[in-house]
Amino acid sequence: MAAAATPAPPSTTPRKGVQPLRAGEGNSFYWRKLHSLSGIVPIGAFLVEHIVSNFETWNGPLAYAQQVKFLNSLPLVRVLEWVFIFIPLAFHALYGVYIALRGRSNVNVYPWAGNFGYLMQRVTGIIALLYIVQHVWRQRFAGIQLPEHPGAAFAKVQHELSNPWFLAIYVIAMIATCWHFAYGIWLFAAKWGITPGVKARKKFGYVCAALGTALCLMGLISIYAVVWKYPNAPADVMPEQPAGIALPAPSVNTPGATNPGQPGEVR
Amino acid sequence: MAERTIKVEIKRQATPDAAPVVEKFEIPYRPNMNITSVLGEVAMNPVTCEGKPSTPVTYDSNCLEEICGSCAMLINGKAMMACSALVDRLQDGDPNKTITLAPLTKFPVVRDLAVDRSVLFENLKKVKAWVPIDGTYDLGSGPKQSPQIQEQRYPLSNCISCTICMEVCPQFNDATGFVGAASIAQAKLFNLDPGGAVLKEERLRALAGDGGIQECGFAQNCVQACPKGLPLTEAISDMGRDVFVQKVKDMFRQ
Repeated sequence: MAAAATPAPPSTTPRKGVQPLRAGEGNSFYWRKLHSLSGIVPIGAFLVEHIVSNFETWNGPLAYAQQVKFLNSLPLVRVLEWVFIFIPLAFHALYGVYIALRGRSNVNVYPWAGNFGYLMQRVTGIIALLYIVQHVWRQRFAGIQLPEHPGAAFAKVQHELSNPWFLAIYVIAMIATCWHFAYGIWLFAAKWGITPGVKARKKFGYVCAALGTALCLMGLISIYAVVWKYPNAPADVMPEQPAGIALPAPSVNTPGATNPGQPGEVR
Repeated sequence: MAERTIKVEIKRQATPDAAPVVEKFEIPYRPNMNITSVLGEVAMNPVTCEGKPSTPVTYDSNCLEEICGSCAMLINGKAMMACSALVDRLQDGDPNKTITLAPLTKFPVVRDLAVDRSVLFENLKKVKAWVPIDGTYDLGSGPKQSPQIQEQRYPLSNCISCTICMEVCPQFNDATGFVGAASIAQAKLFNLDPGGAVLKEERLRALAGDGGIQECGFAQNCVQACPKGLPLTEAISDMGRDVFVQKVKDMFRQ
């Protein structure tokens, strides 16, 4: 009996195949959750802001220029840009590539909707990454500096989209990015336990699809406005705008004014 | 007219390290056959289509009624239970359609269609998928379970550990070492048990380790393929929330 009770010595040969759960080991939980969260805030929030701001192109080059000027007049705008856009975006993109590389899609064997969504989330993520790299470089850092020349924003984009290849890239990237964001919200709710039930997930799927479609349409309408609605936009609609912070024009008190602080003509 | 037969192609290998070979067999047809009875016919007359004598096909099986979870394999390329895979349905009205059998792809092959699925047992141990009732004295009867808890637990208790949910999962692979849906569902089953809840926090912490619940990509193949219809995505969603809440609590307590 004593011999039978002796536990078998642990096997020294390494286990073949997929390794068991490493309970209590590693930090991948935090990185993965941060990746998931960063896609909603701040990146998703920024995407909504960006598409809504771009929608000002519908109202013409001057309206768009004023929107660009407004955004660039936000306090600590360069800090906001790095902390809430560039750094989270770089992390989300690089960790996303790492996640995608470790998946083994099998939608060819199991052609189910959720499996297709799994693959598309990775494909649209890669498309968005490639697009955003060139977009940030060519529109934010290269060429005329829009923070100093907000009036040139419309013409800069219009010039880019005058190339039919770039127009195609922008349309494809707009659809891919909105898909990635909409399905990402759905995945977030599913994985964080906000929509555990099958019915809740289905209903929320419609909400996400509506949101994604609305954002995508707004983006495509903006592209239409830039390319076709306002052709031959002037190179800079606000050439007199000074860079950085400037005093407002000095107000001259109207003679005989009872309230010197009140600008304009007294009637 | 010749007697109707079934053509079956089986991917086989004699040892864990041998190169796999495909052998073709042709066996007499009977109505309502399942893959287990096909393999039984092959074992009765293990001669390939080319007339070459072969051996009976090795595969795991026990209950033959989709309860033990042993006979999972790739049937026509898809992970299914051999016992509940019916030939008539697989051929879909085309009696000449060849049926292919292969071992599961994500587990080391032992021989032919038998694979080593012990990683699931290891994972169930890691998430402590049991109710701790061992004592040096009689611990008495357990706490009462409300019918509402029973209703939530019963579907999860149907798991037969067949590992099909892991086989079909794009995230269950060598690179991630993902724990798989079955172990997450069993952790939920025992967290819901009034007696098993004593290990709840340990289970949740275990599932936050590398290869834990965060690796789920929510492709939802598990719930589509599960032969017992377990609510696996619901379990992953619920446990995802519980694990997150536990980790946040731990962060502020330590």
